Amino acid sequence: MEAGQKPNPTEEALEHVPGAERSARIDAWWWLLILVIGAAILLITTMPDPYLNILQFVSDGLGVTVLVTAVSFILVLIIGMIGGLGRLAKNRIIYFISTLYVEIVRGIPLLVQLIWWYFAFPVVIQQLGILLKIQALADFQANPIAMAILGLVFCYGAYMSEIYRAGIQSIPKGQMEAARSLGMSYFQAMRHIILPQAIRVVLPPMGNEFIALLKDSSLVSVVAVADMTRRGREFMSTHFNPIEVWTLVALLYLVLTLFSARMVTWIEKKSRIER
Amino acid sequence: MAELIIKIENIYKRFGRVQALRGVSLDVKKGEVVVIVGPSGSGKSTLLRCINRLEQYESGKIAVDGIPLDSTKNINAVRMEVGMVFQSFNLFAHLTALENLTIAQRVVRRRKKEEAEKTAIALLAKVGIPEKANVRPGQLSGGQQQRVAIARALAMNPKIMLFDEPTSALDPEMIKEVLDVMLALAKEGMTMVVVSHEMGFTRAAANRVIFMDEGQILEQAPPDKLFSNPSHERTKQFLSKILSH
Repeated sequence: MEAGQKPNPTEEALEHVPGAERSARIDAWWWLLILVIGAAILLITTMPDPYLNILQFVSDGLGVTVLVTAVSFILVLIIGMIGGLGRLAKNRIIYFISTLYVEIVRGIPLLVQLIWWYFAFPVVIQQLGILLKIQALADFQANPIAMAILGLVFCYGAYMSEIYRAGIQSIPKGQMEAARSLGMSYFQAMRHIILPQAIRVVLPPMGNEFIALLKDSSLVSVVAVADMTRRGREFMSTHFNPIEVWTLVALLYLVLTLFSARMVTWIEKKSRIER
Repeated sequence: MAELIIKIENIYKRFGRVQALRGVSLDVKKGEVVVIVGPSGSGKSTLLRCINRLEQYESGKIAVDGIPLDSTKNINAVRMEVGMVFQSFNLFAHLTALENLTIAQRVVRRRKKEEAEKTAIALLAKVGIPEKANVRPGQLSGGQQQRVAIARALAMNPKIMLFDEPTSALDPEMIKEVLDVMLALAKEGMTMVVVSHEMGFTRAAANRVIFMDEGQILEQAPPDKLFSNPSHERTKQFLSKILSH
């Protein structure tokens, strides 16, 4: 029984309750989106002097924010899967390394990690290059965006590892046993049987991670990446209008996160119907 | 009679402090139907799971169809030849009944999609539920799920079928439909090792009944002989409990 019909009954039951939370959530989301976009449009059209200027000034930063988030998240999905499988490995060395990774990352603030990758890591590489007499390493120059993505991926990869681990562990043991007893290797069973089921379980927390990553990407503004937050700061330092700048930047972030949340719900719903 | 297909020699297996198997040896011939009975905790399921190496054992030897279970390569080779049916069905929840039957054929046996589906459709018809091909396990009754699980194992063309309490999780009215499939298999000459307390099935199909207690085989005999005239006191006690109803 346990293997056959897990999440279906409760979820279907929920859908049949009139006025259940899902449609209520859609309403709230629409209202909020209309409110936020409306506010932004109102500000920009009625007071184009600071607001339209700010929008034009930070728009390339918006692109950087989206780019950094998207690239990081794709890499996080891959690193997280490797880390998650590592945390479940029977091999002690693999388990030890992945556990060490997760514990180190969890114990250090993301801001400090980003600063380390940008300011300290290149120096480590350069010193190493001098020590080993490898000129290419000694001349290593950090690209801010690359280092920022590295920092975000390193940190979020660890969190994602734990999500993958929990997702894989939530699949009943019998699924793996059945797959193995049909002659599948561990990796075949993971790929065809366990992960497709685990992904569905972890979609909601993964969506949350995406939104958290989107918001935390604002931290890369301290390591010379011209994202939306940094562009906002640049505009403010020349025009001295903090209220206008940060209100608009906040609204722009809100639009991004609202759309992301919607997308996550949509993907969740789609994968559920597929069952 | 026929040649040996499973050879188990002196297996010891422990779970932590519990000694699950203490020196079990058992030979199964090709085409034989062996039913293992015994009180819970006697090691019958563990023994069954050792045959396709779902459980590791500390010492002893098992060879299936002449292949010793000693390397990863051999274990996978053996698993292809040994079908396993579980108490809790363990159908792949994200796949339809048909896909449950085709996935291992395609991934492990490397069969083409059309070929795998042909085999699968024929097997679903054989277990009596061709109309459920495109239904997911969650929408099937327990008896239907177990029949799909049997068909899934058969799709790999195994030489041996292992059944681990296949009817214990079923409602009474569904037990028969599963046992009918198993009986038909036995009649076709499939080698079967079955852990079960279904006495009707055992009487009708078993060549040999094994009685296990505390990790050992206490005695073995054809069903009539064992049920009517057990030689051990422990067997008598156990049988009096399960035969009385």
